[in-house]
Amino acid sequence: MRILIADDDALSKGLLEKALACAGYEVTTVADGRHAVECLSQPDAPRLALLDWMMPELDGPGVCREIRKLREQSYVYMILLTSRESKEDIVAGLESGADDYLVKPFDAEELKARLRTGERILHLEGRLVEAREQMRFKAAHDPLTSLWNRGVIMDLLGRELTRSQREHGCTAVLLGDLDHFKSVNDTHGHLVGDQVLREVARRLLLSVRSYDFVGRYGGEEFLVVLNNCRPDSAMARAEEIRKIICTRPIQTDAGLLGITMSLGLLLSSDWGRRPADELLREVDGALYAAKNAGRNRVMQAKPEEPRQRVPAPQSAAERVR
Amino acid sequence: MNNSDRTPETASVNLGELLARVDNDRELLCDLLSIFKREFPDQLTSLQTAVAGNDAAQAARVSHTLKGMLANLTVTKAAASASRLERLARAGENSSLGDALAAFEKDVQGLLPEMESYMAEARP
Repeated sequence: MRILIADDDALSKGLLEKALACAGYEVTTVADGRHAVECLSQPDAPRLALLDWMMPELDGPGVCREIRKLREQSYVYMILLTSRESKEDIVAGLESGADDYLVKPFDAEELKARLRTGERILHLEGRLVEAREQMRFKAAHDPLTSLWNRGVIMDLLGRELTRSQREHGCTAVLLGDLDHFKSVNDTHGHLVGDQVLREVARRLLLSVRSYDFVGRYGGEEFLVVLNNCRPDSAMARAEEIRKIICTRPIQTDAGLLGITMSLGLLLSSDWGRRPADELLREVDGALYAAKNAGRNRVMQAKPEEPRQRVPAPQSAAERVR
Repeated sequence: MNNSDRTPETASVNLGELLARVDNDRELLCDLLSIFKREFPDQLTSLQTAVAGNDAAQAARVSHTLKGMLANLTVTKAAASASRLERLARAGENSSLGDALAAFEKDVQGLLPEMESYMAEARP
């Protein structure tokens, strides 16, 4: 584990460095408080620090206060080294944000034991951060495909539409639905159906740029948001997405399955200032038209070409796919 | 390490403890002693100047540094004298600083030659 020693006393620094290197730590040393703050503020900074109380530029408690102000970074476990023994001093040191203190000259075994305490705290913090990140991921992603879930992809679409309206750009919205997916589930079972959904998700992600968004909109429905899309290339990109699904059969436990996708396409620049849910109804209409026209195709929603509209919003399961 | 002129009773440094601290690393011991040899005279002069000039704040700072250096090298008696100086200087008891400095100077007398003899013995 990496550790920072901040001490202006070369003797003390030398002794600490030796003790810590023997204990297996990877040691970085600085000679004043300013450099300690600089080092600990780096993204890949050591997360254990031994700070001498009295240092030029900025003292140990000053370093603790500065580091505790940085909320975004990982927790740094800081131990103050002091030859001060009065209670008031120790209280002041701990209140500056230090986790512990050690009286100089230090005893090597005590130093190592206190550092092990620090490592335990950091390990615990690491587990909490990991758990929080997992919760965040679960709250935003579809568990089967790991794509954005419906709530998030809708938010992202709303934000992207607002941005493209403000910047007079164009966002392409693609709503895709797997053709005859119900029969995949009915014939081969849901586990095979899940394999198909996962592979489709993977291919969709491969077919877009890093700043585009792909979400699972419903059972076998996927919403793709192509940001900053040139209107004259949108249909070609939609076709690429359609082809990436149909050109190669999908490997499943039931063997290779040929899967196709029908897509509705909508360009925000065609529709002016319209809310996301309204545009989604329009692109859903285009998807419905693609299904009616024989499936495995892309149909574009255009305001000047009224189509036969779906009378009321239907779920994927209700529709004839 | 043996030195005919020095017995455990007269030595300022607790060599056994110091060697344990550096994990018997004689090279490191030499490095630490040479750091001390380099820095100690300047610190001592700085302390003498501060006491002579009645500069309690500076006397406190320097005696704190000296206390740390000496304690790290297990020169316990002189470290205690430096600690007393620091305490008096922080309390602003300027009238007592002269005597405390004299006591400290007595405790560090002969320290540098002692360090040098250790260095000579420790060098491979």
